[in-house]
Amino acid sequence: MSRARRIVRTLGRVAGMLAFAVGLGLSSWIIELDRVVVDRFEGRTFAVPSKVYSAPLVVYPGMDWQRIDLAGWLLRLGYREQPEGGPLEAGRYEWSPGALRVNLRAFSHPLRPEPARELRFRLARSVIQEIEDVRTRESVDVVVLEPEPVSAFLGSDREQRDLVRLDELPIHLIDAVYAVEDKRFEQHHGVDLRRVIGAMLANLRAGRIEQGASTLTQQLVKNFFLTPERTFSRKVREALMALIVEARYEKPEILQAYLNEIYLGQRGATAVHGVGEASRMYFGKPASELTVAESALIAAIIQSPNGISPHRRPERAVARRNLVLELMYAQGRLSKRSFEAASTEPLRVAAIASETGEVRYFLDALSHQLPEVYAGPVLSSEGLRIYSTLDPRMQRAAARALREGLERIEKRVPKSRGKAAPLQGCLIALRPQTGEILALVGGRDYGSSQFNRCTQARRQAGSVFKPIVYVSALDRSSGPAATLASLLDDQPFQVPVPNGQPWRPQNYDHEYHGLVTVREALERSLNVPAARLGQEVGIDRVVAMAHKLGISSPLPRVPSLALGTAELSPIEVARAYSTLANGGRRPTPRTFVDVVQAGGLAHENSPLQGPVPVLDPATAYLAVNLLEGVIDRGTAANVRAIGMVGPIAGKTGTTDEEYDLWFVGFTPEIVAVVWVGYDVPASIGIPSSQGALPIWTDFMKEVTGTHIRGAFPRPAGLRHESIDPLTGALALAGCPAHVDELFLEGTAPTHTCPRGEPINEQRQPSVIRRTLKRLFGGG
Amino acid sequence: MNNSLRGSRTSAQIVASPCRRWMYGRGALIPRMGGALWLGVLLVSACARPWTKPEPTPEPILEPIRVSDAVGLGDPARRASTRLVVQGLDADQAGETERAQGSYERAVQVDATNPYAYLALARHHLDGSDIEHATHLIDQAAALFEAEGMREPRVGVHLIGLRGRAMQMSEEDADAALYLDRAAVMAPAVWGDAYLSAEELR
Repeated sequence: MSRARRIVRTLGRVAGMLAFAVGLGLSSWIIELDRVVVDRFEGRTFAVPSKVYSAPLVVYPGMDWQRIDLAGWLLRLGYREQPEGGPLEAGRYEWSPGALRVNLRAFSHPLRPEPARELRFRLARSVIQEIEDVRTRESVDVVVLEPEPVSAFLGSDREQRDLVRLDELPIHLIDAVYAVEDKRFEQHHGVDLRRVIGAMLANLRAGRIEQGASTLTQQLVKNFFLTPERTFSRKVREALMALIVEARYEKPEILQAYLNEIYLGQRGATAVHGVGEASRMYFGKPASELTVAESALIAAIIQSPNGISPHRRPERAVARRNLVLELMYAQGRLSKRSFEAASTEPLRVAAIASETGEVRYFLDALSHQLPEVYAGPVLSSEGLRIYSTLDPRMQRAAARALREGLERIEKRVPKSRGKAAPLQGCLIALRPQTGEILALVGGRDYGSSQFNRCTQARRQAGSVFKPIVYVSALDRSSGPAATLASLLDDQPFQVPVPNGQPWRPQNYDHEYHGLVTVREALERSLNVPAARLGQEVGIDRVVAMAHKLGISSPLPRVPSLALGTAELSPIEVARAYSTLANGGRRPTPRTFVDVVQAGGLAHENSPLQGPVPVLDPATAYLAVNLLEGVIDRGTAANVRAIGMVGPIAGKTGTTDEEYDLWFVGFTPEIVAVVWVGYDVPASIGIPSSQGALPIWTDFMKEVTGTHIRGAFPRPAGLRHESIDPLTGALALAGCPAHVDELFLEGTAPTHTCPRGEPINEQRQPSVIRRTLKRLFGGG
Repeated sequence: MNNSLRGSRTSAQIVASPCRRWMYGRGALIPRMGGALWLGVLLVSACARPWTKPEPTPEPILEPIRVSDAVGLGDPARRASTRLVVQGLDADQAGETERAQGSYERAVQVDATNPYAYLALARHHLDGSDIEHATHLIDQAAALFEAEGMREPRVGVHLIGLRGRAMQMSEEDADAALYLDRAAVMAPAVWGDAYLSAEELR
């Protein structure tokens, strides 16, 4: 063998070995790329944040549609006003004099779906007079409107998307995307060589990169697996992976993944991905309802979602949309008539619903109440739908009342501004019968402090604790009981404290008032009588009652507990007062109703629980009646002064040095607690009646109006007697003063005032009563 | 304890007497005229005497309350709430229990003081063997009925019967029998089978 042949053979071997090595390397690279592709596609393709929805809005004749903000609700749900007459499309509404016509969308829920239907609301001023089903012409007694999306549990990437299936998208949306992004998508195998060559020539002619040639598959691959860097190796990798994807998966699967993945703009700090979420953001409706022009707009902004943003650059967005429409027409995807109609359609985009940060406090409370199986990553990736108890109207009112109230305090007390950390506050509202949390604002600004002062803070309760002392004294189940007419001595006294100075309670005004009734003592929030009562009842009984009512924090067994030296969280204070408002039945706070999986299956249910009876209803009613007096005549009389009428009860609370300002107020259907203070306790400089109370009244006035509905349910076992307030005795003829007072049956005083007519051990019924009682029994 | 269980004389019997209604009902004469009615005592005793004798068991009641009787009553919120309770009972009757639960919860959302909503929810929970919640809901319904002055046996019979059923499901058989027997005597057509269906409550 000649030398030359040997060289050739050696070279051949080397080349063969090299080719083998390259082939081997390429193969293993392709295998590796294939594994990456398969892992992504076969596993969970997208991390979809779970969305939280409000409670639904229930609408019925007789309701004040302005108070419930019916128009705002429709707008927030993405309903749009029909500009001209004619048949209403789904998701549209039309105002006419004295009427509102709405074409309601169906509400999809595995357990509680609501049908799509067209309704006419006949309106008389602010009241809904009648609701009629337009199709059947029948009156409708009650309508449940779909819940409002409140927020979402975003992951660290802050991506928001609403997954869609290909079969629920309108064909013109797909056509629009094909037309502008990849018109040969259905023909190529991942890489469009014709388009690559065309783009190369165009770019050469232009002397710069002017055209891209990426197919939808390549764009998907880039977004899924690669970085945005523009290098040759990345391009090769992208092309290879696109080929693998096309080899492994069907076109519809690839297209669906693309339409759910593509970045389409920003909602504040949140990145909006996929046509489903983009449709909701730009048009306030599901992608299935997109028109031709709207579809073209979404396809148009794929190229540069922020540069062609319809919110910020509407002219550019319309120009690009019309380009897409032209391409669709030119490619035969659109008829001339549709093209002309869509091209002249004005741009109507929905306002971006900005999530107020305050709702995040509610979300935090909700996530803590969800079972452990919904730990962080699950919430931010599984696309669950969580139906909460939140009333969005109340939540907005609570956030506004708190924000404005704190600003008002800062204006009034200028020194409160100069602190290192700002004045804080919280507001929580519950439905006392069910414990449902209707509104929760845990601080002034979630962005700067996520500490939830409604659920995580423990602050001195001050006088809002006193009703618990009084209820302990009124409750007959655990020992001798007081009545609302019992007299308490408001005189200096002291309680010995082991190994320390005796405790000497003082009133807020540093004065003493002599003998006062239980009612007067609480209405004026006097400290000394409350401390004395606490001693008489026994601190152990007070602690037991507090826990029965719903206080879960540990309570110090010290004499000053009666004046609220215990540190409590606003949510447990709300619970304890809910027990009183609900006739002695203790509710369990509840933030969500159910959780639905991305696939539409019910996942977790939190049924409405019956409250637990813990206190005699008549005793609870006495407490409510006592607290109504605080509103009518006592430290919270400002509630009446601003014109609020109807059943309202409540209690102010101001701790030493005005470190903490509380107000707890309730109606038959809402219990709301307001707390104001600094995170590091410091004096605020005003009492609760000027700090926390105005926040409460602002909130309630917006939510309920000035006329509160209903009445506190009064149980059996109570009776009114006329008493002499100076002595607490029955007031008969000759007594200097008469006051009507409420007593549990059998607990009214048995003696009359000193100058009244004497009676024996018990007040005797009249002869007529006795005779009738003998005749008929009963009483 | 419910009033209806306390004594053998029921308010239904009082209502049944026109004479007593004349004396004790709304706008009654006795409370208004006070001592001047001395002269009427004879007439009173004549009217009342037949009902003063305690009886060992309550008489059967033909018509316990139905939610649909209350549909048009109350303010707009109460009317809407009661309508939702009826929708819930319809759903329960059709076997759509989750939908029923949703309707009851909406009823409470609209009017949290509507006793019918809690009564229907309690019945619903018992059907779902959720005894603890059902018992608390019966208490809630009872308290709200009482607070609204609805203390008559046609309300009480359902509360007694549902309590009995809750006890039966908790295997407190002796007490359950006592309650269910009493409910059956009071309203045999409804409680004779020791069960309150959604249709019977509707």
